[in-house]
Amino acid sequence: MIAEDAGQAAFFDGKSNRRRTVALRLGPELEICEGGIPIASWPWDWVRRADSPKSQLRLRCANAHDLARLDIQDEALAQRIIVRCTRLDVEDASGKSGTGRIIAWSIAATVSIVLIGLYGMPYAADRIAPLLPQSIENRLGDMVDNQVKTIFGRRTCDAGDGQKAFTKLVGKLETAGGLLMPLQAAVLDSGVKNAIALPGGKVYLFRGLLDEAKNADEIAGVLGHELGHVHHRDGMRRLLQTGGTSFLLGLLFGDVTGAGAVIVATRTLLEASYSRDAETNADGFAIDTMHKLGRPATPMAELLVRITGPQRGKGIDILASHPFSEDRLARMKKIEIEKPGEQLLNAEEWAALKAICGKPAVTESKSKDPGEKPAPEKTP
Amino acid sequence: MDEASFSPPPQPWGQPAAAPPSLRPIDFVSEGSKFLKLLIRGAALQLVTFGFYRFWLATDIRRHLWSHSMIDGENAEYTGSGRELLIGFLFALAILVPIYLVYFLIGIEAERMQAFASVPLGLFMALFASFAAYRARRYRLTRTVWRGVRFWMQGSGWKFAFLAFGWMILVTLSLGAAWPWRAAALERYKMRNTFYGDMQADFDARPFDFFKKGLAMWLFALLSVALVIGGSALSAIASSGRGWGGLLIGLGVIGMIAIPFMYPFFRALEWRWWASGVNFGGTRIECNLRGGQLLGLFFKYLVIAWLVTGVAAMLIFAIGAAVAEISGISIKTLDVKKLNDLMSGDTWILVAGAAFGYLTIMLAAGVVQRFFLQHEYWRMITSTITIIRPEAMENVAAKGDIANALGEGLADGFDIAGF
Repeated sequence: MIAEDAGQAAFFDGKSNRRRTVALRLGPELEICEGGIPIASWPWDWVRRADSPKSQLRLRCANAHDLARLDIQDEALAQRIIVRCTRLDVEDASGKSGTGRIIAWSIAATVSIVLIGLYGMPYAADRIAPLLPQSIENRLGDMVDNQVKTIFGRRTCDAGDGQKAFTKLVGKLETAGGLLMPLQAAVLDSGVKNAIALPGGKVYLFRGLLDEAKNADEIAGVLGHELGHVHHRDGMRRLLQTGGTSFLLGLLFGDVTGAGAVIVATRTLLEASYSRDAETNADGFAIDTMHKLGRPATPMAELLVRITGPQRGKGIDILASHPFSEDRLARMKKIEIEKPGEQLLNAEEWAALKAICGKPAVTESKSKDPGEKPAPEKTP
Repeated sequence: MDEASFSPPPQPWGQPAAAPPSLRPIDFVSEGSKFLKLLIRGAALQLVTFGFYRFWLATDIRRHLWSHSMIDGENAEYTGSGRELLIGFLFALAILVPIYLVYFLIGIEAERMQAFASVPLGLFMALFASFAAYRARRYRLTRTVWRGVRFWMQGSGWKFAFLAFGWMILVTLSLGAAWPWRAAALERYKMRNTFYGDMQADFDARPFDFFKKGLAMWLFALLSVALVIGGSALSAIASSGRGWGGLLIGLGVIGMIAIPFMYPFFRALEWRWWASGVNFGGTRIECNLRGGQLLGLFFKYLVIAWLVTGVAAMLIFAIGAAVAEISGISIKTLDVKKLNDLMSGDTWILVAGAAFGYLTIMLAAGVVQRFFLQHEYWRMITSTITIIRPEAMENVAAKGDIANALGEGLADGFDIAGF
């Protein structure tokens, strides 16, 4: 059976860009003839649509040359061909089935990324942080140390007996807490009421907090809390978590126009939640250590409440980096020891510690913060 | 403004003067409404796929633009796919992640030694971005097909990156005067490594022509900056010079305000100059784009972008207020405490709603931007281009193979992806 010529078209064979005027025959296959001689035959099932404007139909063939093209200008002929092609738009990537798949996979990918961010990241950071060599952590610590001293001043206090009392207090806590790494603790001459732990086992107590404290237990609790951060290697974990979260969110949002704000917001939320967990754990460490020394843990929380006041409802709760002072106090009261043991420092030692920066202990009333204090990285 | 066109250099074999070259326009037969529909659908899909649809949207946009551009009666085709872009992106991540990690660790060391060791790292990243741009061009080119024959490209992305970087130093040192020479050097490298089938392209526009025509604009910009600096210096040195200094600063600031309006004229000049240098085996192009046309387009884009984002923001705020009213919160008395009560019960609806609204506004702005700065820009450029001697591009044999989308992925990672 020889089909009649159905009409003319332009053919490009994919091997050269020469335009060949061909006649089409609509037989059992789409036959392409040049000068009466068949030069190609495309099975109807394999004919696919290629991109073209509305004014013409462009076809390709899935089992012929990759770039061979057939351009049909005649609309009636195009219609006759279209009805014969059973799978004309099958591989069209922007077709319905393709889009459905993209949506489904995107949602699956997003869910997995969010789950990794919420659970996988903290888990991985917990496992990886202890494996990293101490030297890396020390280097990080040196870097942060430089920044801390730029912000809070470089003068550390070590006035005579005060330093002795401080060393004694820290030593007791260190032994009771069972710290696995060397600790470097110092008092920093800054009015900020805070204490911080840096990667690599550096702990700084700020003079502002010392001025505010009424007894050695309050300071010991705070130091115990910071020792908890050191013990849990929170600095390192925080770094790993922050890096990992940034990477994950970048992966997720890529370059959606202007999604930067969403990335920052999500990261803030996630980091606040990581940070609250770390603080709660450091509190647990402080409580255990104080109880081992036979001393109460509540004074530390009382000091905090004195400084911050009740916090619930003051800011946006889910953005808070720490548990609320009143909640921490409540937690410590609940599990307080019955009979306190011996004082950690005697009265003279405590007085010496208070005066470690060379200032008499009576300056308490003048030690109010100069203006709003900048939000430090870690409040005790 | 000088709108004279650049004359192509004489043909090496010397065309007889009697035979005028044949001229053909590029017909861009796209309907704006269709493209807009494509964009809006793409934006909606980006929203539900958390942005992952961007690879397919970029592909859809290119397919539309390419397939509606008729060159000598035949439309071009873009044969890339979103899946390729996604794979390129994932490969790029595998390369970028260790680099970022090393970058980070070196940053720590540098901080420790208090050296300015992070500067060379910035330079490395600039190199890397040029590399990505070159490789991304290669991907797009090898997916471009006309008359059943694909374009392709060779050359080294790193070589190009070093070339671009070296010239950037010269441009900086010369306060911008070397820009035409940089553009010429980069275009030469790109075009001489560009092929259509077995036909090699060339670029032969003379940088000095560009320099001459742009000289007035360059001097104007330079003078404005110099006036501001000079004026400030004058008022700083002597109190008596304060009046004169103020006057100079004023003049300089007026000049600097004029610079953004001058920019479209500069771009148009660059387009005309670039077109005059493109050569595919004797087929050349000519562009008569005028600065005023571009200025008009940019102006239209800015006005509509403001309108659309404004309306979208108001709509979303109204919806938010209505939802809040229904759930019993008054916007007027909304305080932090209520917000916390709402969120304490794990009600993330508010946060999610705010993020959703914000993203919707951003995506609406993205639709407007793509419509004007891609579709309408493309229409304007193609409508001003004439093809000279298209018959020289006949009988080209197919050659060259497709390249992977790694460059596109890297460009996406650096946020410099084009269309």
